[in-house]
Amino acid sequence: MSGSVWRRAELLRSDIREFVRTTMPADILRKSSRHLMLNKDEYVRWMQALQSRGWGVGHWPPEYGGLGWSTLERFVFEDELGRAGCPWIIPFGVKYVGPVIYTYGSETQKQRFLPPIVSTEHWWAQGFSEPGAGSDLANLRTCAVREGDHYIVTGQKAWTTYAQWADWMFCLVRTSHEERPQRGLSFLLVDMRSAGVSVKPVRSMDMCHHVNEVWLDAVRVPVANRVGEEGGGWALAKFLLINERTYGSGLGESKFALEHLQAMATEQNDAALRSRCVELELRLLALECVSYQTLADMMAGVETGAEASLLKVRASEMYQDILEATVDALGYAGVAYDTNTLHGEGPPPMGPDDTAGILRCHLYNRAATIYGGSAEIQRNIIGRSVLGR
Amino acid sequence: MNAHINVNAVDADLVTMLRENIERYTADQYSFEQRRTVLRVGCGYSERAWSDYAAMGWLALRLPEEAGGVAAPVAATAPLMEAVGAKLLLEPILASVILGTGLVLKRADAAQRADMLPRLADGSMRLALAHQESLHAGTQTPCACEYRNGAVYGHKIAVLHGDCANRFIVSATNAERGGKVSLYLVDAAAAGVTCRSFPLLDGRGAANLHFDGAAAEPFAAAASPDADARALADCLHEAAVALCSEALGAVRALNAATFQYSKVRKQFGKPIAVNQALQHRMAEMYMLEQEVRAFSSAAQRALEGPVEGRERIISGARAFTCSAARRIAAEAVQMHGGIGISDELDVSHYYRRVMVNGTLFGNRDFHLARFADAGHMSAPA
Repeated sequence: MSGSVWRRAELLRSDIREFVRTTMPADILRKSSRHLMLNKDEYVRWMQALQSRGWGVGHWPPEYGGLGWSTLERFVFEDELGRAGCPWIIPFGVKYVGPVIYTYGSETQKQRFLPPIVSTEHWWAQGFSEPGAGSDLANLRTCAVREGDHYIVTGQKAWTTYAQWADWMFCLVRTSHEERPQRGLSFLLVDMRSAGVSVKPVRSMDMCHHVNEVWLDAVRVPVANRVGEEGGGWALAKFLLINERTYGSGLGESKFALEHLQAMATEQNDAALRSRCVELELRLLALECVSYQTLADMMAGVETGAEASLLKVRASEMYQDILEATVDALGYAGVAYDTNTLHGEGPPPMGPDDTAGILRCHLYNRAATIYGGSAEIQRNIIGRSVLGR
Repeated sequence: MNAHINVNAVDADLVTMLRENIERYTADQYSFEQRRTVLRVGCGYSERAWSDYAAMGWLALRLPEEAGGVAAPVAATAPLMEAVGAKLLLEPILASVILGTGLVLKRADAAQRADMLPRLADGSMRLALAHQESLHAGTQTPCACEYRNGAVYGHKIAVLHGDCANRFIVSATNAERGGKVSLYLVDAAAAGVTCRSFPLLDGRGAANLHFDGAAAEPFAAAASPDADARALADCLHEAAVALCSEALGAVRALNAATFQYSKVRKQFGKPIAVNQALQHRMAEMYMLEQEVRAFSSAAQRALEGPVEGRERIISGARAFTCSAARRIAAEAVQMHGGIGISDELDVSHYYRRVMVNGTLFGNRDFHLARFADAGHMSAPA
């Protein structure tokens, strides 16, 4: 890695710290650092605050409104915000579909869909998983039948995060039945206001509404809203999923959570808890080292194909373990769960202000080893890459 | 090592009948859907189910015959606690039937028994133990609650079913008894009681209580000044064992659900159970379940066995069970995938219950420390 790349990344790091101190809406940071529930308006204001510096799409090429960040800058950006306790960067537009559109989309699609992502006008949802197609994504059944210059799309998407707020959903659908199921898939952009789209809320184990079932009943989608070739959707999905795994690693969130846990250990003066912290800190440092090593490899163009999977497995399991230790450190406070306090209404029945948020975060993050390719699937990928099968 | 439960032949029949009775009732009347309805509309538990339990004699199991019970030993409550775990029953069985009734049986005099036992049997009296004061210590916290001139003063936290109990058993120090911890009965409706109720993570109710001169009645059975403290320690042992039985019911249910699901859930054209990586993890879950079962029944026997070595086995069982149940619950969620993290499937409800039970009446660290302090012993007889 050349020195100037590092210098730029460190410059960005100090800019982000300054942003968190001066520009970040304090009410939103107050909630997110306690793992409370944010509403749509708060998420949009957060994304707009990032966009005031151009950072929401900093990793995009300049011709589409980005800053052309290096891989390293992109990583530092996520790391630093996570570490400050900032909210989740809603990835569906800026991280997932945006890069797919500017990499694979037509000129018309770029002009139509990219600006509203940059401006935060469009909220996107991800229509990949289905009840029978989770780990085995290629098994999906939602089908799109060509009728003139439209597809008629029918099927059901599952675990669709924040579909209740979405204006658009990118979808992987079956446009033909081939021997290899991956071959018959296409990538469509669906207007959520289309007739035949319905969204049914699904409560998660944290008792909150994040995910939905999205039902598509003969929804008419213009052929012009297909990105890439018909039947070429799998390559786009893989491109997107690798982005999701590499840059969703959540190292920053783990640092934030571990610092919080370390403070609890000090306050409680509990030797067992302190030694648990040290173990976690060691694992976190290992993850940080391997993250930077991977970045260096990626920038040098030497990749084995399993890096994203390695980072995803380690980061998600580490975050879960930190949160589990934090729940343990709450002691009796951790048995009470008043969901009203998740929206910032009053203190929890016992313990520190962020008690309910920590519990919520722990529960919700049981999914971290399930979504975006389960830990089992990631280990399969690593195994195949190592053993060459 | 004895494999049978330490009850006589009559009790063994009783246990079998009780087990069948519980299974029939919960299968008919306590489905996951019925339970969800209770959680949506109720006060944290089902009053109808509670009166059914009374009618079926579950609440009176340990009571003497004259009070409508069968004077069963505490070990006979194991099937009940297993059902509590298997079906995630929301009613105050641990709080009132195990802990509350246990304390009354040990410490109430004839008049107090005549007053309370019939009402415990018919379910109209629900007891809750108000003992915990500190967020972080185990169950043996120094007691800051005080009893003086017929009233209690102080604060208790996380009182299981404190939201719906009509009488509390409160631990408090008493200067007249040399500052020893004693137990006092306090009416939930008494002046000077402030109750802040809240839901637990698993949907049951609890409360933080503040006593400011609330009228309190000492247990009146004549005994030495530390009789209450000893009864409390014994009953907390019983609660620890009851939580092991509850955990057994829960891990059995989780394992059964996970093994079944792995055989029907298909990905890549075949059931996920054909993956050897998952088979090994499920084998591990099964081994843990067997260890929990064996450890729980050893702890049951220890309750009625010699004092020497009792605490070691009970705290050992509880510490082991806490981590085994946690591991199994996490694996069950993971192997169910997306559906495992939804509130619509029972797996997530077991997960939350296991989390709460891992803290109540002494968490794993607390029991592990007690296990260590209890020293080395040979295998349980």
